[in-house]
Amino acid sequence: MANLTAKTAKAMARELYGYELSDESAEEVASAAGAMVTRARRLGNLDLSGVQPPFGYPTLLAEAERIRKRG
Amino acid sequence: MANPSPLLDFDVAALSQKLRAKEISPVELTQAYLDRIEAVDERIISYITVTAEAARTMARAAEKEITAGRWRGPFHGVPIGLKDLCYTKGILTTGGSKILGEFVPNRDSTVWTRLSEAGAVLLGKLNLHEFAYGASTDNPHWGTCRNPYDLDRIPGGSSGGSGAAIVARTAAATIGTDTGGSIRIPAACCGCVGLKQTWSRVSRYGVMPLSDSLDHTGPITRTARDAALMLNVIAGYDPNDATSSREPVPDYTSRLGGDLKGMRVGVIRELNSGVSEPVARAFTAALKQLGALGAAVEEVSIPSFVEGSLVTMVVLMAEALEFHEHWIRERPGDYGADVRSLIETSMTITAVNYIRAQRERNLMLAEALAALQDHAVLLAPSQATAAPRIGDRSYDMIANMVRFTGPFNATGQPVVSIPTGLSGEGLPLSMQIIGKPFDELTVLHVADAYERARGPLPLPKI
Repeated sequence: MANLTAKTAKAMARELYGYELSDESAEEVASAAGAMVTRARRLGNLDLSGVQPPFGYPTLLAEAERIRKRG
Repeated sequence: MANPSPLLDFDVAALSQKLRAKEISPVELTQAYLDRIEAVDERIISYITVTAEAARTMARAAEKEITAGRWRGPFHGVPIGLKDLCYTKGILTTGGSKILGEFVPNRDSTVWTRLSEAGAVLLGKLNLHEFAYGASTDNPHWGTCRNPYDLDRIPGGSSGGSGAAIVARTAAATIGTDTGGSIRIPAACCGCVGLKQTWSRVSRYGVMPLSDSLDHTGPITRTARDAALMLNVIAGYDPNDATSSREPVPDYTSRLGGDLKGMRVGVIRELNSGVSEPVARAFTAALKQLGALGAAVEEVSIPSFVEGSLVTMVVLMAEALEFHEHWIRERPGDYGADVRSLIETSMTITAVNYIRAQRERNLMLAEALAALQDHAVLLAPSQATAAPRIGDRSYDMIANMVRFTGPFNATGQPVVSIPTGLSGEGLPLSMQIIGKPFDELTVLHVADAYERARGPLPLPKI
């Protein structure tokens, strides 16, 4: 399992989000995040080659046009 | 050294007529290009792999068909190069990397399938910045590609080999890819035409990704007409690429010719600053030329473009990391230092910032569409300066290059980079012509009109 320490969790929250985790929260976050990162690594084992993410250019066009008309 | 064959002087439009009329043999033409590659490419390094025997075989097949009256179209018998990011079945496809240094695909990219079916002759696979992740094509694994106008300068990137091959005359036309500027930057550095068409207009099947939602595959050619001819072949829906558009494919040469009377064009204020004196002078002269052709040249503002390159880079870097994650963990030392650094930096991009950048793309396109309500096309310089020197670590590629090109990867609009002249040092300078999504017809019409009025530029002496 990914072994995040409370110290690492605090540093990530502070540096990436400007957020100060309490010591108690940092312990909980480290444990939960460690579990989630470990599980998320399984996504890397899926064969996703050639599978496109659901980013649609028609959606981008439609949303841009909606915003443009909104003014 | 023998003088280059006069056959190399013809662009694709001229070649297609002469090949069809049997005034030129595809075999003779292909050999002329292979001889040119042998004569100069040791100094330019535009190619990673030259497929000489395959090219001769394709040329002989083209000659047989044309002689029998079975002409396939403007690219029949025309020698081209493909960026080595595009799969070619049975032919080494490295991505410009060490990691894929021995990779031979078992399938073709759709761009090559379509060009092959159109009768094109493959001269080889063109050099690029490693994994398309950079703008210099200073490739540590396959050789430093050099600018034919000045061998001490970069050809731009990441499709540097594609751009260099056009002006060095080692290919009649080439394919590149563009994620943050990688067709337009080499076109600008090397003094040729680079077309990044609308996102999804050309299939990306069989082209190694850098950033899924920003990648484009498109032509780098001598002229706007050649770019239109190539787009005719490669554009269109592909069932192998679900993101490819079902928009009908017009004849992209149908609006070439004529002037720009009655047309309003908008210069993007936010991209028309922070450029060198030669770029500014050439851009101003180009605007005057467009005015002389009948266009009303005005200024427009797209405020979101101030952070346009940041939006592009956040999306690009996060998506590139997703593709490279297992290799960076397993083989970090097999990356070039600059690419490894970019991938490592990507590890600090948060999901929240990525989503915000994706949202901002909507706003950028909305503002661009608003400007295009009253203007047929928009205009901007292609980059801040002429090509920098190879190895100049002080040169800021983001500020000087991606700042101008990146916003249009985020919006997916069609853009052509077209030369505006040479600097006092004899280096190419260029501008971008930007259109509405799927309006390549107007973009190419303006580019072609300007190009004919500008006249030919001196070629490099190699």
